[in-house]
Amino acid sequence: MTELPDGVFRFLISLATAGFAGVWLIHDLVFLARARRARRTGRRDSLLADQVFGYLVGIAIGVIGLVGTLRFNGVF
Amino acid sequence: MTAHRVSPWNPANAVTASRFVFVPLLWWAIAHGLHQWATLFIILCGLLDKLDGLVARIFDCRSAFGELFDAITDGLCYGSGLILVAAYGWAPALPVVCVIGLGLLNTALRFVYIRRAGRAVNYKSYAMERIVAYTGYLIGFATSGMEVTLFYWAFVPLMLVIVVHDARRMLIDPVPGAGPAVEPAERAAARSTTADEPVRAVRRSAPATAATAEARQ
Repeated sequence: MTELPDGVFRFLISLATAGFAGVWLIHDLVFLARARRARRTGRRDSLLADQVFGYLVGIAIGVIGLVGTLRFNGVF
Repeated sequence: MTAHRVSPWNPANAVTASRFVFVPLLWWAIAHGLHQWATLFIILCGLLDKLDGLVARIFDCRSAFGELFDAITDGLCYGSGLILVAAYGWAPALPVVCVIGLGLLNTALRFVYIRRAGRAVNYKSYAMERIVAYTGYLIGFATSGMEVTLFYWAFVPLMLVIVVHDARRMLIDPVPGAGPAVEPAERAAARSTTADEPVRAVRRSAPATAATAEARQ
């Protein structure tokens, strides 16, 4: 069964993981800032609280993804 | 949520169901040591997970059943994927056991939530959506051999925090837009005759939260 060379596969996987993690991190940072702004304007409901918690989890996942990609490529 | 009645036999649910095809394919690839093919199958499975929501919007066939079916499919596909990678030694077994245990606990809590709501409804959690997506990546990390230990062990405390957070909401917080305020009389009477215990009215959630429920759906 034909497969990609190891180096190419490694590069593609790193690119995909870092790309997803980076976009995820930026997306959730932006939306967290918006949610916090909404909180400051006095909106306090369970949906907003759930969104804030979800964005914090998303940021944590994004950071883990980026750290994992850097470690995979021997940066640290 | 749409006001019209949506048949469960719709394009979005067909896309969701098609994800089950990838479970035997993934098994075949892992059993034959084909890392790249296994990675490709789990990526395709993840893409279909994103596609079903898009199809539901395009064909206007969003439904509570569809959301629930999607959540169950996530659990079955990703759960079996995790078992496969752990069984073939591509991922550490202990975090996989923790993740599956927490996933089963979350599923049980969802059924309690459905009982509290009195109808088929998917419990929507922003954090759980993200952790389910991460589960898909976990299988991909195992099939591609990418920092498996780090990604698997980082997942466990994250999922534990989310399950505890969501358990509080599913078990304690009022259910948005729940059914009648008291248990139907005939059901309560049947319970009292079979269990020989006093009839207790089941208090449902406050209707004031119905607007929030609509926003969540």
